[in-house]
Amino acid sequence: MKFPAIRLRRTAVAAVAGAAILAVTLTGCGAGQAASNDGGSATKGTINWWSWTPTNDVAAGEIAAFNKEYPNIKVIYKKVPIENYAASLKPALASNDGPDVYTVYNSGAYSAEVFAPYATDLTSNVKKMLGSDWKSKVYDGGVKAFTVDGRLVAAQYAKAGAGMMWINQGLFDKYNLKPPTTLDEWVNVCKTFRANGLGCFREGVASSGFATDTLHSIVDSFKPGVWADVVSGKSKWSNPTVAESLEMLRTLSKDGILDEGAVGLQQYPDVNNDFLVGKVPMIQMGTWYQQNASLPTLTAALEGAGVPADTPKITLMPMPFPDVAGKGNPATLFADVDAGNSVNAKSKKLNAATTFAVWLGHSKAGQQAVTNSLDSLATLNGITPQWDKIQLVNPELQRPALEKVTADLNTATESRAFGISAEVSQAIIDACQAMLTSDKSGADVAKDIQAAAETAKK
Amino acid sequence: MFETRTIRSRVLLQILLAVIVLPFVFPLIAMVQGSLAGRGWANYQTVLSLPLLPGFFLNSALLSAAVILIVLACTTMAAFGFSKLHIWAKEVYFWMLMVALTLPGVVLLSPLFATVTQIGAFNTLWAVILPVAALQIPFTVLLARNFVDGIPSELIEAARVDGADTIRTFWHVMLPLMKPIMAAVLVLVFINSWNEYLLALLFLQTPEQQTITLVPQFFVGQYNNDQTKVLAAAVLTGLPVVIAYIFLQRFFERGLAAGALK
Amino acid sequence: MTMTASRKAGLTSERRSGRPGRLRRPAGLPWILPAMIVSVGLLYYCIVYTGYISTLDWDGASPLQRPVGADNFARMLGDTVFWRALGNTAAFFVVTLVVQVALGILLACLLHSRLYLKTFHKVLIFVPVVLATATTAPVFREMYAPDGTVNGVLHAVGLGDLAQPWLANGTSALIIVMSVQIWQSTGVVFVLYYAAIGQIDTEVLEAARLDGAANWRIIRSIVWPGVRGTTIAIAILTAIGSLKTFDIPFLVTGGGPSYATEFLGTMIYRVSITFSQAGYGAAISVVLLLLAVGTAIIIRVSSTRKENTDV
Repeated sequence: MKFPAIRLRRTAVAAVAGAAILAVTLTGCGAGQAASNDGGSATKGTINWWSWTPTNDVAAGEIAAFNKEYPNIKVIYKKVPIENYAASLKPALASNDGPDVYTVYNSGAYSAEVFAPYATDLTSNVKKMLGSDWKSKVYDGGVKAFTVDGRLVAAQYAKAGAGMMWINQGLFDKYNLKPPTTLDEWVNVCKTFRANGLGCFREGVASSGFATDTLHSIVDSFKPGVWADVVSGKSKWSNPTVAESLEMLRTLSKDGILDEGAVGLQQYPDVNNDFLVGKVPMIQMGTWYQQNASLPTLTAALEGAGVPADTPKITLMPMPFPDVAGKGNPATLFADVDAGNSVNAKSKKLNAATTFAVWLGHSKAGQQAVTNSLDSLATLNGITPQWDKIQLVNPELQRPALEKVTADLNTATESRAFGISAEVSQAIIDACQAMLTSDKSGADVAKDIQAAAETAKK
Repeated sequence: MFETRTIRSRVLLQILLAVIVLPFVFPLIAMVQGSLAGRGWANYQTVLSLPLLPGFFLNSALLSAAVILIVLACTTMAAFGFSKLHIWAKEVYFWMLMVALTLPGVVLLSPLFATVTQIGAFNTLWAVILPVAALQIPFTVLLARNFVDGIPSELIEAARVDGADTIRTFWHVMLPLMKPIMAAVLVLVFINSWNEYLLALLFLQTPEQQTITLVPQFFVGQYNNDQTKVLAAAVLTGLPVVIAYIFLQRFFERGLAAGALK
Repeated sequence: MTMTASRKAGLTSERRSGRPGRLRRPAGLPWILPAMIVSVGLLYYCIVYTGYISTLDWDGASPLQRPVGADNFARMLGDTVFWRALGNTAAFFVVTLVVQVALGILLACLLHSRLYLKTFHKVLIFVPVVLATATTAPVFREMYAPDGTVNGVLHAVGLGDLAQPWLANGTSALIIVMSVQIWQSTGVVFVLYYAAIGQIDTEVLEAARLDGAANWRIIRSIVWPGVRGTTIAIAILTAIGSLKTFDIPFLVTGGGPSYATEFLGTMIYRVSITFSQAGYGAAISVVLLLLAVGTAIIIRVSSTRKENTDV
């Protein structure tokens, strides 16, 4: 019968169509084949470098310095906004067309560990550059953070520290105030500032982890060493020191030290802009903030904040975190390796990529280029910013202070973020927000952090 | 619609209209104000002097044009098929298409990347064109199918009687009648493909391939944030779409009206 | 009517005589194939992939994938953030729908009346639709900052006591997120209503006027029932859109404070990308998909009513 025949034919067409659709979808399945190649030349080629830091200007400077030694390796830098970095990098590395060099952090969503399966082992290359005692020539925190299962998966090139605060020296001078060293002094200083229409200590606790540094500083003020123990697992988050530190955070807000609305503010750009234009005299940032002591950088930052060109340039000065606990414990600094370059094992320009990755972190020229921008500290021992080449806003005041910060950091033993998983980092932010918006006790909130830490353990 | 015979009622209604529209305009003004803060028009100069800016505009234009063409072709054909032609298990296919409407972008990142790189389209505009088109089609087919439902089948019968086959019918009878909905689809798809950010960020590696939506990231650092230039770039990016909408506004309304459910 | 009957007869007889290319209703499959291949092919792979991943404990990058069955789903049911996100989605849906419908109808009525500068107003309402969220979000964050424009205006008009850090309070932050969505999509709702109202018979309106009906009465008794179909369509699209909401809360509030503006989309991002728990994120995606598919079925059911019956 012709009727069933047509039915059959139409079914066949549908089946073929369905199969075609399925075939297209299934071509998406299956892992990418590993690129079979010899890695190419070590001194020639074009490589792609992805990172969330540095800025395009600073990167251009670093690449220019690199090209002085290796003129035939072209480096294309792609700056991915930090909030999209992990999301962009994951699929890129899973494919065969990912970047040749990619920057990693010491912990969290884009740590060296997370992306270790895609990275090559750079030990032999670093050894070739610095000798077999290379470990003693570089920042040990970086070696620790970037060695995964015995392999050096990233070549560190930038270090950051935190725990200090930064003040607008001009505002302090204007009202004849000295940087506070105790809680009471801090309350009084803030009273004066507020009476004159300014903020005092502003921080963005909306989504980024800068409040973690503040909490860390407070914990160290109560009892040094507790934070390190908690992070390493020797102690729990639900211990009394953390609880009373969380209560102290609430006190800072209630006593008029911490500007209100913190949980609705972003550290960048809101708080950053407010500080740089002089609305707020004190903030807590890390060593990267010293770049705002450089006149050209500060000018560009003010431009970015949208203020007229004749806005006075603030004199940025570091300040130790006040002894809020009143127990006489000295203010601490904590440091971490801030960035390292991994080489994509699937890269077709493996050797050229390795040359660049290792050069940036382990050559004098590379490290000098990194640290002269002032937004990172060097990881290669003995490299400091060439202050003569840098134009500071107020060199007499700032240079000695900044040099001291760098020197102090070399003696810092605590880590800043290394060892804190993304879940715990989020839990700490949640805890700070809870202390500032609810009436929960510090002890209860600390228990919540511990709970998050326990579910996160793999 | 409303009573406008007395001057009093006219004035009141005019004021009411202005009061309602004001909150919509306010953020726009803030945006332009923010882009002019600091150095004023120099911000725009900086953005416009980005060396590869013309290239970005061109890529965005190419991307939008390709997506529009693909979506228009697929949509008009599919609307015709779903509405006027016989398909075994038609509603099943339609339902499958509608389900694709429900996917949030965030879910698509990993698998899309795997598919795109398998096809070998990474770092080409095709890597963005195809997914964007795929995401638009369910909604446009939904709109267009309703529209075509409103076209009397008698017209097709008449063409058939005149001896035209299906393709001729489509080309000479359906397409001219579908102009309003095509205009509506064009505007909607243009907006979405011009503004596409995440996929462009993922798949376009080198500046020669990148689109205009990626310009703001040139001004955003980890530890600094040039808001004024970001806003200037945002205004510049939005301008072509606003202009296109103003011109196509009338066709757009007609198409959307006829395609909407009454 | 006779024509229809005869056409039907002609159709059946032709089908039985089995001449494929010459049917009254020719085969439509090739016509829908391009759309199906592009959309369904590309996107269904993603759905299947996500479904598979939801049964794994995987960080999204390493070759190590550990099958855990339904564990991710069990975890989700016990996760307070998940329920908070669902609650926010529901509240978001209700508020944005009610406000957009009210504004849309009101504006459409106003712009069908004899007022001045109608096209100007129409364009202004639609411009927010055209701008990308990524570019407008920072503007809103600045507006609602403690020393931002909104508080500035409050101080200027003497209502300085009301000035507060709007984004720091959970409730006001959620309202702000809703308001940004309303700002961005009322334009589309308005255009749909404008068109629908344009199709209401003017004679009916005239008759009502002659009977002395006030404006409000006209809206309630004539306009509202007359645009019912549009309202249903908008309700369904708003429901799906609310489930998919990601851009606005992500860019304006980051999901905070304390998850007061957390939505399923932002939760998926946080879990999959920030926490590197691709499996859990995929599980949430599957639930989101199922909830959205339920709504898609409603679309199909409601659009069947309007469907032209094929002859």
